[in-house]
Order: sequence, then C-alpha cells, then structure tokens
Amino acid sequence: MKQNSMLAMILAGGRGSRLHELTNKVAKPAVSYGGRYRIIDFPLSNCANSGIDVVGVLTQYESILLNSYVAAGRRWGLDAKDSGVFVLPPREKADENLNVYRGTADAISQNIDFIDGYSPDYLLVLSGDHIYKMNYAKMLAEHKAQNAEATIAVIEVPIREASRFGIMNTNETGQIVEFEEKPEHPKSNLASMGIYIFNWKTLRKLLIADMKNPDSNHDFGKDIIPQMLANGDKLYAYKFKGYWKDVGTIDSLWEANMDLLDKNNELDLSDRTWKIYTEDVTSLPQYIGPDAKIRRAFITQGCIIEGEVRNSVLFTGAKVGPGAKIIDSVLMPGAVVEEGAVVTRALVADNVKIGKEAVVGSADSEHIELVSKRVKGVE
Amino acid sequence: MARAFGIINFAGNHIQVEGMQKYRPVGAFSFLGRYRVIDFQISNMSNSGIDHMQVYIRRKPQSLTAHLGTGRHYNINSKRGRLRILYAEMEKGFSIYSTDIASYIENMESIEDEHYPYVIVAPSYMIYTQDYSKLLDDHIASGADITLLYHSVDNAKEFFLNCYTLNLNKQKGLLSIDQNHGNAKNRNIFMDTFIMKKELFIDLVNKAKKTSSMYTLADIVNASVDELDIRGVSHRGYFAAISDFKSYYHANLSLIDFKAAQNLFDDEWPIYTRTNDSCPTQYFDDADVKHSIVSNGCLIEGTIENSIIGRGCTIKKGAVVKNSIILPTAVIGEDVHIENHVVDKHANIIHAKDLTADPDNPGYIRRGDTL
Repeated sequence: MKQNSMLAMILAGGRGSRLHELTNKVAKPAVSYGGRYRIIDFPLSNCANSGIDVVGVLTQYESILLNSYVAAGRRWGLDAKDSGVFVLPPREKADENLNVYRGTADAISQNIDFIDGYSPDYLLVLSGDHIYKMNYAKMLAEHKAQNAEATIAVIEVPIREASRFGIMNTNETGQIVEFEEKPEHPKSNLASMGIYIFNWKTLRKLLIADMKNPDSNHDFGKDIIPQMLANGDKLYAYKFKGYWKDVGTIDSLWEANMDLLDKNNELDLSDRTWKIYTEDVTSLPQYIGPDAKIRRAFITQGCIIEGEVRNSVLFTGAKVGPGAKIIDSVLMPGAVVEEGAVVTRALVADNVKIGKEAVVGSADSEHIELVSKRVKGVE
Repeated sequence: MARAFGIINFAGNHIQVEGMQKYRPVGAFSFLGRYRVIDFQISNMSNSGIDHMQVYIRRKPQSLTAHLGTGRHYNINSKRGRLRILYAEMEKGFSIYSTDIASYIENMESIEDEHYPYVIVAPSYMIYTQDYSKLLDDHIASGADITLLYHSVDNAKEFFLNCYTLNLNKQKGLLSIDQNHGNAKNRNIFMDTFIMKKELFIDLVNKAKKTSSMYTLADIVNASVDELDIRGVSHRGYFAAISDFKSYYHANLSLIDFKAAQNLFDDEWPIYTRTNDSCPTQYFDDADVKHSIVSNGCLIEGTIENSIIGRGCTIKKGAVVKNSIILPTAVIGEDVHIENHVVDKHANIIHAKDLTADPDNPGYIRRGDTL
C-alpha cells in the first residue's frame, strides 16, 4: 500500500511533571487512559486511520516502556512493507557530540537524515500526549488547497481560557497573521493544538538555520512559526471541531476519563469507523460477581468486580473486592481494591493495592487524590 | 518442544449442534463472549511450544479462516512457525464420506511435509487446557505406540452424549473405543486427542482408507488394539465438550462462577484470541449487572443476571437478560425479557418482549434475526 507523501513525527519526549508519580517511570504519552489505552495510542491510531504509513516517535524522558511499546507497529496496523513506527531517541553522530533534544524543533532537526530517507513532500508534526480523533488526510487536503507552507490545527477554546494556550490570530480567509504564546489579552480564541503540516523542503531549510542559531529555543511555537511569519510564508489555521484534551494534571486526567461516562460523549470510542488501537492483552473478559453493583461506569477486560462501582473508570485487570466501593474514581491497570475498602474521588495508579476496609479520597475534596503507593488495610 | 506438530481436527459426524452449527463449525463458536472454542486448543499447542499446526475444516470455512488468519495472534513465531488451514474439498456437510481420514488423505502432502517425528491430534470442539510437551515426554517415556487423553466424568448420562469413551484395563491399556449413549453416569470421555509417531499416523490413515470409506481415526485406532500398545492418560482440570446445543449453553454458564473459571484459566497459560479493538464497555445509570461475564464494546442500560454478553452488544433500557448467552453485536431492545436463551450474532430483538425457555431446553435465536 504505497500511497503516502506525508510522514508523521510524534513528539513524545516530555515528562508531564504535573502528573507527579504517574510519570516517575514513564513519559506522559505512555500514561494510561480510557480503560485500555495509552495516550499515544490516539495520535498513532489517527495516523493509521488517516493512511499515514511511516511514523517516527521522538522519545527522550524515561523512554524504556515507551520505546518498546511503540516499536510494535502492528498494534496500529503500521507494519506493512512500506510502513512502520520508528523510535527515535537522541543518538550520537559521527561529526558531533550526543545532544539531548533541546526543543521540539531540535528533535526534528536531529532526525533530518531519517526523514530524508523517505523523501516526503509533507511533514506532519504531532504531540504524543493529546487525546482526540482527527483525520490528518483532510488536513493535508486543506493544506494543499490553500497552497500553504504550513498549516496548523486550531480549536476554539472559551476566550477566558485562551491565555493558557498558543493563540493564532487569523484573517478572514483563515491565514495566520499573528501567533501569540499564552497572551495576557488574547485577540482570538483559536488555540494551537500542536499539530503542524509543513512542506518538508521549506521546513528543512528553516531547521538547518535554526540549529545554528545560538539564541533560539529550538521550539516550533517560539521560534519556527514566528520565523515563518516574519519570512512572509503562507500559514493557515485548520479549524478542528470535536473532542481534544491535553491532560496536564491529575485533575484533568481524571476529568478526561470521566468524560467517557457521558452518553454520546464527543470522543465516542465505540465508533467502528475510527477505532483507537492499542496493545492486545490476553486477559479474561470482565467478571461481575453475584453481589456487584455497577452504575455509570466504563470497564474493560480483565476486571473482576465483586463490590460496587459508581461513576468510575476501571482499567485492564483492576479488581474490586466484595463490599468495596469505587465512587467517582479511576482505577489504573492492575489496581486492586480489597474487601470493604472505599475509594472516592481518587485516581489509583497502576498496580497499587488498597487494603481491606481502607478509606481513600473524599467526596468534597478540591482536587482528585492520586494514590500511587500501597494503602494498608485492616489486617 | 519442536518434536511434534499439531493437527486440530473438526468435530466428526457424531457431533451435531442444532442451530448454531448451521452457520459455522463448532470451533468457530463464540465462547465466554470474547473467545472462539478453537482458541483454547490453539493456545494449548502454542503454549506447549508447538509452532506448526494444521487446522482442518470441512464445511463453512469463512468464519474460522477469518478468525485464524495467519495465526500471529496465537503467539506463533512468524517465520519458523506456521498455522495452516486445510479445507478439504470433498463431500459437502455431514456426508458419511466426509471423515477426518478423507481429509488427511487429501492433504497427505502437507502432513508428510512436516519435519517432526511426532504428531498431536486434538479436537476443535472441546475446551480444556493441557501441556502437550509434558504429555509427549510421558508418551515417549512410556514406550506406548499411541497415547489417548481422556477425562473421567460422572455426568455422562446427561452430557457428553455421542462422544467417544475409552474402555481401559487396570493398567490404562485400551480395550476399546465406544460411544457414550447416556446409559451410565461414570465414563472415561475420550478427548479426541492422540499422540503418536508421524509415521504411525500416516500408516493408520492409509490403513483406515483401505478398510472402509466411513472410517475415522478413532475407528482405526479402535481396530488396532490387538496390534498396538495404546494407552489412556487421564486429564485433570476443566473439561467441556461442545457436543450438542445444551452442552454449549452449559459450558458457557458453568464458567460464570469465577472459582470455576480458575480451573480453566491460568496466568501462566494465556488463551489467545483475535483482538477486535473494541473499546471498554459502558454501563449507564440504569444498568444492573450481577454474576455475569461481559466483553468489551458493549452499551448496557438494562439488567443482566447470570449471563454472558459478547463483544459489542447493546442491552437497552428496561431489558432483562437472565441465564442467557448473548453472542457478539446482538441487540436486546427496550423492555425485552429474555431468559434461558442463546442469542446468535447480530440478532436484534425488538418486538418479542418475552422470550423465556425451559432451562433444560434452552431457546435459540438465529443469527441476524430480527424478532
């Protein structure tokens, strides 16, 4: 299936330090989400579903798990003859010292040789830590139709939140006239989603110049896009409508999971025409015990539920013992809540055990409690 | 293991499952929501280190071939390993001529091609776990010509009807292979699993063909008791034969109890299946689910009790599903009450509001039916 003139590069090097212990050992794109997924499954599945064959994944921070996870390209069907997912951590080169990726643009610059190997016409740059479904082929069609040098996907955000984002100011044709990073007084509500399509030849030149510039942060938002605007390049904003979430904090990760409980929620993971692919685990189907109570929940295979689950999301292999209660909470993969324990407004991290009759979290807490260590129960 | 290759055989003419078998062979039946019956056998072989397997199909190959594919999802080495699907272009359906022997003869080249000294022949319509590598070691150590696997049961009057039984002497030597006609409680049910040298297997197949066109492998083994050293080995753990509709229904329901399921499932012995990439299951405000097995990709608003729900099913508001098996992507409409039934794939129950059958004679809703 040789068809593509666009290659994708996913930026997956960030730590996501506001996710605290969840990202102690894994990078943010590898954090679990939605019962059975990891966040990076979203951009990877979007690539596969958009007909992109070659995807480079730029990793840096705590990348062991992420490297082995994304290397198995067949999970997303990206393993045909001319297709693949390639893990690209920083590497030593013959003519220079080993450098870490100094910024988002530098991560691409350091892999120009990789990209050249495929001689693409277009380069798609994505973030590995956003949750959304998007057809990049449509964005590319728009990019071509507009005859742009670069196209940036934008989403409308409430104007009062606009100062948290990189804001694109456009003219009436959708051409970007100004870019402002986290402006105090935003002039528009079009936030950059960190999704870019570039004409590779143009970007290649800019990156080579940027690498040599000692004053540059080597960042797309801070350096490359402003440079293109200054050069008078045609930059277009591609308006995206739909669910999009950048889960930076425990509260927002919890919230993004809770969004899945709504009937007809916007993300609609059950859409069979745009499936999100992920690791295939061999666990059993869900076992629901004789005294279980389940209301408003999102539960996946490998879970064993003997207690009560209300308004919660349970990930692969989570266990809820007899009489235990899980309310307004998220149990990450392999979390175990033993007999009689009560978990409220909490996010229980991977493989953490909550002992017998322990009480975790509370209904009126301001923030979601992250439980990342074993909680002892009654012996 | 690499000393044996595997043959996964189809259910013979003595096995007839009303309704469901019309659409696919027993091996392709959905089991516990997310599996197919044949997954257990292929996982047994894969986990035992067998990477060459031949799956024989004699009718309705579509669903099995789609499910098995290249066998990659069974953890078979993608270069050295091979899962072959052998479809015998012979008599259609349940003809007396469509025996396992006829299909081995037709595919003799593929059998001779396998460079392993031993063969393990196992059925696609039975559910159990077994480490064949250990069984083969024991077989070789015993010096027997053929080892047959069996399971001792005490409910042969009601279940395992028409299955083969082993009549063994005190030293576990085979006296005869008979059929279970349900006139005694205690029987050694033959698990249609044979271990022998490949050369002996080929000899027996040729001998069977010469003897009678109706002969099966079990028949020729039975006819060889005087010349060969044939022994039975008793199997322990969970065992079910999908030999009729009732046994399909009961085998599924018997595993809803998690303790019972632990007899079959073991973290060290994974059961592989083809992923469907369905999302998790969504339970809504009015859902009420107890003592059940639920697969991924379902939307549940109704009540479910003592049932098995396949992938991608919808159970609407006010619906009650009790003691039933709902196969993948079926829809149980609003306020439908269904009890003691098997609802086949893609069925859509909207208008029939009360479907209750006798638990001893469970009901069946056909594939793709709208009721």
